[in-house]
Formats: sequence, C-alpha cells, structure tokens
Amino acid sequence: MPPRASKRKTAPPNSSSVTSSDGRSVFSKTKTKGLGKIDRLFNSYANSSSGEIDPDGIVALCSDLGVDHTDVRILMLAWKLKAAKQGFFTQDEWRTGMKALRVDSLSKLKKVLPELEIEVGKPLNYEDFYAYAFRYCLTEEKQKSLDIESICELLNLVLGAQFRPQVDSLIEYLKVQSDYKVINLDQWKNFLRFVQEISFPDLENYDSSLAWPLILDNFVEWMREKHS
Amino acid sequence: MSAQKKKAFQIEAFKHRVVVDPKYAEKTWKILEHAIHEIYNHNASGLSFEELYRNAYNMVLHKFGEKLYSGLVTTMTSHLKEISNSVEAAQGGLFLDELNRKWAEHNKAMQMIRDILMYMDRTFIPNTHKTPVHELGLNLWRDVVIHSYAIQSRLQAILFENVRRERSGEVIDRGLMRSITKMLMDLGPSVYQDDFEKHFLEVSADFYRLESQEFIESCDCGEYLKKAERRLNEEIERVSHYMDARSEVRITNVVEKEMIENHMHRLVQMENSGLVNMIVDEKYEDLGRMYCLFRRVPNGLVLVRDVMTSYIRDTGKQLVTDPERLKDPVDFVQHLLDLKDKYDKIITSAFSNDKTFQNALNSSFEYFINLTSRSPEFISLFVDDKLRKGLRGVTEEDVELVLDKVMMLFRYLQEKDIFEKYYKQHLAKRLLSGKTVSEDAERSLIVKLKTECGYQFTSKLEGMFTDMKTSQDTMQGFHASQDVDIADGPMLSVQVLTTGSWPTQPITTCNLPAEIMGICEKFRNYYLGTHTGRRLSWQTNMGTADLKATFGKGQKHELNVSTYQMCVLMLFNNTDRLSYKEIEQATEIPVSDLKRCLQSLACVKGKNVLRKEPMSKDIADTDTFLFNDKFTSKFFKVKIGTVAAQRESEPENQETRQRVEEDRKPQIEAAIVRIMKARRVLDHNNIVAEVTKQLQSRFLPNPVVIKKRIESLIEREFLERDKVHHLLTLYLFFELEKDNARLDFQLLNSEVSSRQLLYHTRELCYANASISTSSNMIYKVPSFCHSVHIEAVTGVLFRLDAGNREEYCEVVRNSIAVGFVGCRRSLVTAMPFPSSIMQSLEAVKIGTLPESWLKRRFKVGSLES
Repeated sequence: MPPRASKRKTAPPNSSSVTSSDGRSVFSKTKTKGLGKIDRLFNSYANSSSGEIDPDGIVALCSDLGVDHTDVRILMLAWKLKAAKQGFFTQDEWRTGMKALRVDSLSKLKKVLPELEIEVGKPLNYEDFYAYAFRYCLTEEKQKSLDIESICELLNLVLGAQFRPQVDSLIEYLKVQSDYKVINLDQWKNFLRFVQEISFPDLENYDSSLAWPLILDNFVEWMREKHS
Repeated sequence: MSAQKKKAFQIEAFKHRVVVDPKYAEKTWKILEHAIHEIYNHNASGLSFEELYRNAYNMVLHKFGEKLYSGLVTTMTSHLKEISNSVEAAQGGLFLDELNRKWAEHNKAMQMIRDILMYMDRTFIPNTHKTPVHELGLNLWRDVVIHSYAIQSRLQAILFENVRRERSGEVIDRGLMRSITKMLMDLGPSVYQDDFEKHFLEVSADFYRLESQEFIESCDCGEYLKKAERRLNEEIERVSHYMDARSEVRITNVVEKEMIENHMHRLVQMENSGLVNMIVDEKYEDLGRMYCLFRRVPNGLVLVRDVMTSYIRDTGKQLVTDPERLKDPVDFVQHLLDLKDKYDKIITSAFSNDKTFQNALNSSFEYFINLTSRSPEFISLFVDDKLRKGLRGVTEEDVELVLDKVMMLFRYLQEKDIFEKYYKQHLAKRLLSGKTVSEDAERSLIVKLKTECGYQFTSKLEGMFTDMKTSQDTMQGFHASQDVDIADGPMLSVQVLTTGSWPTQPITTCNLPAEIMGICEKFRNYYLGTHTGRRLSWQTNMGTADLKATFGKGQKHELNVSTYQMCVLMLFNNTDRLSYKEIEQATEIPVSDLKRCLQSLACVKGKNVLRKEPMSKDIADTDTFLFNDKFTSKFFKVKIGTVAAQRESEPENQETRQRVEEDRKPQIEAAIVRIMKARRVLDHNNIVAEVTKQLQSRFLPNPVVIKKRIESLIEREFLERDKVHHLLTLYLFFELEKDNARLDFQLLNSEVSSRQLLYHTRELCYANASISTSSNMIYKVPSFCHSVHIEAVTGVLFRLDAGNREEYCEVVRNSIAVGFVGCRRSLVTAMPFPSSIMQSLEAVKIGTLPESWLKRRFKVGSLES
C-alpha cells in the first residue's frame, strides 16, 4: 500500500489538481473509494506547495470542526495521527490516522472526536498521549526541554480539566521559582505521576527521599511552607 | 547316675542355740553411752577403743543398730545443749572464744565417736539411709548450738560488730573471726550464707549507703573516689582474711552499687571537681581511678564516655566557631593538635587505652572539625607554615611526628578534596618561591597522603615535583647553550609547569621590561627549539625577582620583589615620577594586583622604596608615585612582600567552594554510573547510600546534589526510570557496546563532528570507571581505563577523517595532562598521532643559564600552558 500511495501522492495532486482561489488544492477526479475521500479531505486543507496541512490549514480544519485550535481535542487528534511536527499533518499521517479513526469526511470526523477523547482517557493511552504532548511541542532540532511558559500552557491544556487544583498550584510555583528555566521530559512525566499518585493538597504520601525529581521536592516544600 | 544321686550325702549345718541375753542391748548401750559422756568430759584416756568398737559392732550385728543410732542422737543432743548453755553464759568478748573452743572440742569428740561407731557408720547407716555420724554431729551442732535463739542473733551481732569496728579502723582478732566463719562454712554453704553472708551484705549495704551519703556531701569527686577505692580494697582484703573467697564478688558488688553506681551521675557531674574538671585540670590519677571504679558498674564507662564526648564536642565547637580563633589558621590548627594530644594522653594514661574511648574521641573530633568549612584550608595553611619555616632545624623524626599529627587531622576531614585544592595552591607557592624547608618532608607528606587516599589524590602533586626537577635540567641546558650571548643580561630562571598539574589561574601576562623580554624570548626560542608542538605562556603573577638598587646617597640594597613589583620598579629607571594611570598603562598589570603591589612598595614602613602622593593607606587612581631617594634600611637585602591575604577572604573562599562543587559533579556521576553498571537496578535511597560510601574517602556528597546528578544522567539517557515503579528503581540504560555501535554507525555516515565524538568518548569513559576532575577530562581518561577500553577509544579515533583528526590533535597538543602521560605508551602504540604530539609527550628537558647583569638581577617564574 504505502509505495503505491506515495506514487499517487507525487503524481496526481501536482498534475491533475486544480488550485482553488484560497490556495487549497482540490481533487478533480475520484480515486480508489476510501483513500480518495480521505485524500480529498486532506487536500482541502493542505498547502499545495508543501503538500502538507500547515498551521493555516489546521486553523481552517478547526473552524470547520467547530473547535478552537488550542483545544485539547486537536492535540488528541495530532496524537492519533502520530503527527511528528507541531502545526503540520503530512499526507501519510493523515491517511493512517483517518483510517484508524474510520473517518473519511468532515462530519464523521466531528462525530468521532468525543470517542477519541474517551480513547485517550484510557490509562495506557493517556500516559503515551501525555508524553506525546511534550514531544509534540519540541520544535527545534535536538531540543530536549521546554521553557516554563510553554510547560504551564501545556499543563493547563492536558491536565487542567482533570487536576485543576494541582495544576494551578504547580503553575503558580513554576512561575515564582527561579531554579529552573526549562523542564525536561523526565520532569514532565513525573508531573503526571505526581498528580495521579499524591494526595492533594495535604501531600501526605509524598516522600522526598524517593526518586522524585528535585523540582517536585522543591514544589512540595514550597506548598508546605505556604500552608504552614 | 540317678542311683548315685539318691545315695547322695547331705551335710547339715551344726545347730547350736545362741542364747542372747535379753538385757544385752541395754547393757552394751550403757557402756557406749558412758564412753560418749567420758569423751565429752575429756576423760577419753581411760577408755578402751577396742572394747567400745567391739560393743558397737556387736550391737549393729545383733540388729540393735537402730537403738545405737537413736541413743547416739539423744546423747549428743544433750551434750550440745550443755555446750549451748555454757556458750550462752559467756560474757561479752568471751562469747566468741567460748564458742570457738567448744566447737573445737565438739569436733574432737565427734572424731572419737565416729571411730568407735565406725562399723555402724559403714554398714547400718548406708543401709538405712541415715545421716552419717560426722554429719550428724555437724547438724546437731547447727541446730542445737548455732540456731539456738540466744546464740544465733548474738553471734551475728558480734560478728558484724567486729566488722564494723574493723571498718572504722580498730584492730580485731582476725584469727578468731576466721575460725568462726570457717565453722559456719563447715556447717554447710547454706549455713554460711543464711546465717552470715546474707545479713553481712545487708548490713554492709546499709553501712556504705550511709557512708557514701556522708562522703558525697562532704568530699569532692576526686576525694570521694579515693575513699571508695580504699573501701573496695579493704573489703577485698577482709574477704581474703576471714571469709569465703566466693564472698568477694558479692561484697564488692555491694560496695560498687552503694558507693559508685548510686552516685555515679552526681560524681561525674560534680561541680568544680567532676569529670569535666578533671579533664580540664589534667588529673590523670583521678581520671584513672574513675575509669577503674566506673568500669566495675554497669553503664559506668558509658556514662564517663558520654560526658567526655559531649564535653569534647562542646569545647571543640566553641573553638572552631570562635571568630577570634579563625583569624590565625596556624594557631587554630596548633590548638586542635594540642587538644588532640591532651585527650590522647588522658586516654593512654588514665583510660588504659580503651578502644571505645578512642573511637569516641575520633568521632568527636570529626564532628567539630567539620563544623567549620575552613578546616581543610587551615590545615593546609598549617602544613604550609610548617614546611616554610616551622620545621627548619628540626630533626627528621620530629618532622615526621608533626606530619603524622597533621595526617591525623586530615583523616577527620570530610571534605578531603577541598584540602587537596588548597594544598595544591600552597604547594605551588612553596615550590615556585623556593621556600620549602625540606624536600624530604614534602615528599614524605605526599607519600602519607597517597597511602591515605590513593594514587589519584596525589598524582598531580607529584607531577608538580617532576616539573620542578625537569625545569632545573632545562635551565641548565639553556644556560649551556647561551653563555656568550647574554653574559651581561639579567639572570633568568624558568620553571616550566604542566597545565593540569598546577593550580590553574587565569593567565594575566603583564608587559615585561624590555631587558627581561629579550631574555624571555631567548628562552622561548630555546625551549620551543627543543620541544616542538608546545605552547609557552608566561605566568607573571607567580614569579619573583631580585633587584640591585642604588638609592640617593649611594647606598645599595638588594630588593627581593615579585615579578609585578619588578615591572613597576623598572619603570623608575628612566624617570622619578609616574602617575597611577601611567604605571597601569605601561605594565598592564591587573588592577587588583597592581594596587596590592603598589601598596607594598609605597605604604609599608621600612620597605617604602617608592613614595606616594598624597600619602595615604590605600591606592587611588589619582595617586602619583615617586622614587624614594631617601630609602634606608638596616639590611642589605630587603624583602618586599606583597600585601597578600594568607587565609582566603570570604569571596575567594566562596569561589573555591564553587570550583570544588563543579569538580565534584563528574565524580558523583562517575560513581553513580559505576554503581549502576554493577547493579543494573537500584532504588534511589540505595544509590545515594552507595555513592556516599564510594566517595566518602574524598568528600561527603550532598544527597540533593546526588539527586541532581541522577536527574542529569536520566536526561542524558544514561539512566532510565523503571517503567512501573518509577520512583523505586533505576536502570542503567547506557551500555558500552551499544554506544560503540552507535558511534561507529554515526562515524561511517559522517554524521558526527569531532566535538560530538569527544563528548561521546568522554561519556564512554565515564562508564568505564574513570574519574577526572578537570574539564579536559578526555585526556586523562585512558590512564584509568583498561587497555581494552583504550582500544575502543582509539578504534573510534581511527575512523576520523583527516580534518577531524587534526582538530583532535590540536586539542591534545594544547593539553598534556598527567593522566594522559601515564598511559602514553598504550595510546601511542594504538593511536595514529602525528610526530609533533609524540614529542610533546616526552619529558621536558630543562636547563639554567646563569646571567649577571650590571645593575639588577631577575628571577622569573613561568607557567607553561
């Protein structure tokens, strides 16, 4: 399948597609049924020159779906598509993702979003999704960590709904502390463990002699000082 | 056969009637009874033992044993009653005598009676399970005499009275006492114990309770202990004289309990004379007595030790936290040594070298020495002082003694790496200024440090000595090659120092005077001519110079100054007056150093070869300096020291600390990786514990820092958290083979830059148990690796393309580190190094060129980089 698909990708869109006025390419002819529809949907948002859905395309897709482009569901979609680069969907990612979702039209995609939310919510998937969210934000080559501001936004987006009080406190702490300017993946992963395992706000079962990252030790200390 | 049997003949015993006199038993007993009476009445001489024996024998034979036995009991009892009465009748002091006499008589009588009744004793008594005659006699004596109401209590009272009298110093008849107690013992251990010992112990306890109460109110601790000791010895002596040997433990226990155990807390803490005062006043005898006495009671020594420990800790803490003391490092360390000597003496002379006391002493010292972070620095300063001047003219043995003591303090340090840092600095100054008293002493200390901490600890220090030695050779070579050329110039002496071995300082080369510049250039050419591929840079901040100076009235002096000062003074060869700015511009000496050196040239009385306008203590940017024509000094040689702080100032100290912290990071990481390589999976607390254990010979790592290093290793993907128990276990993710493969792959695909490669190689070496403190660690790594890993490293290097290899070689050329030299051979054979590097790796050849110059002579120290 993939080799055929890639041939098709390079040949037809460029030779036989019509470029619409708003810069989005549209298929002129029907192809193999399923893939054709998926590709048509892809092409309706893709940038014709790069052959990818770029940030503009994603914004358009979001507005068609009726969700904000900063909504966590879009991040979930990116996870499902296994999108490698923030703000972009390649055609391959789109095809495998849509097939996995069994979606070939905008309305179906809209319908499937709540199901996606449930799927992500499963414990095993959630951890993966959580780590994916971090990696998704790494935009530079060899970038290994995210600055505090991005981390705060990401925390809000990913954990905000489920762990509101923890996220609020953590964000407050991250903004006042001065020891850390960036957060790495290990620390990020441990944030999730922390909110899942540690009772809040009493923090009774937190033991700083365990291998919690230092930043969480400091956070807990800060919390305890604040409350005493 | 049967016929014969029938005819058999039977012989029957001859039957004849023995007529027994019915009164026989009664009569015989009368005879025997009479005999017993006679025995007790001392009339035994008229008795026929043969007859009596026979009578008794016959009685038993004719089954009158029972009668004989009961008769004996009755008779003896009645006699003993008489005795009892007569003893009771004895007055006062005669009581014991009487008792003793009667006892002796009774014994004698019993002897005879037993002889008479021997047959009964042997046959009748065992068969009927009755008490044998002798024992019967003892029992009856016990029951009738000793336990008679009037005697029992009186006997005890008199015995105890005698003991009391003896305790209060009177002389008593010990022989009599011994006989009586012997009697009680003969009557059986239970008699001795119940009738005498038990009450004796009670009475003694009461006695000592009262007495100790009285003593403790009236005596000081030393006196009290003396008395207690005497009492104890008296009791032991008493037992040996007239008591059962087994009583000794019991009575001494009583004394110990009443006199020591019950009062030990009060004694130890007694105001003005307790343990602490004894230590302060060095009362070895009292301390020894206390040790011996307290050793006898449970927890006695623990108490003494605890009080001593807390006292040492308190005083030690006061000492090390006293800001006055911290002003003079040498005095401070001397104080510590004196303190240690004092306690050592106490423990050897008073506490019989008790190991537990020694341990307590050691742990106390370790505790308070590490209370101040300045200890490592001060100990090094102390050594510096000793090796500069303190040990001049001291015999070799005494030098060793001092060094051993210093090593003992060193052992207490938790932060040995900080000591190493300072020691290196101080040693460098000593070596470069030629101030060290004895090279033997220096080397001896290094050997001691090596035995204590291992090769790594001292390798750099030893490298410094090697540099000094090779520098000498170089200077000789230089001198030999140039003798004609520079006969009139200043004499130059250069020390070529290997970067890495010496404490590195930011290079601050100043403008040297032209005369010096010339000779320096000559040296540079000479040196680089013999050693290609090296770089020399002058460390003008570390040198010294001797100047011959002529002042106003023609008086001549030789000035011993630093290189900076020399540069400043040389400016005044051409002019008499220079402003601060002019000097700064001409010399380009760093501001702080320049100010310090001007201060010592112009502001120190007796050494002010310059004058400053306006006169003041501090140097301002607007000051002007003049050559002081009127300078006078009693001495021909004038040493102008730089106003240099001996001990580090606070900010300097902070900086050193920070550097040390930086140096510790790779050590901690290496330890973590080493541990994880061996253990694969380990929880956090265990990692921290193991790392601490591994590193404690050098310093005490902070758990938070260890945690940081672990996190850093996780980030760099050396370690990994366990997927399930993310807090409990950590895996070593990194594997050498895997990484090698990765590197090879990247190299083949030309995806890796040489810098990346160096980074990787360094990481590679981490995992192979290399420790290195300097930032240019890669070059030291091979000396600590196994040859197989060297091959791994070199294997990687082989694949470098030509450009990268050149870049790598450049780095090597710039940094010839100690560790690298150590495994030079294996690297050289394995690595395709260009010849220039090979030469750089050779030992440095050094020579000296003596040089006289018309007016002034110079000595310039330098540091090669």
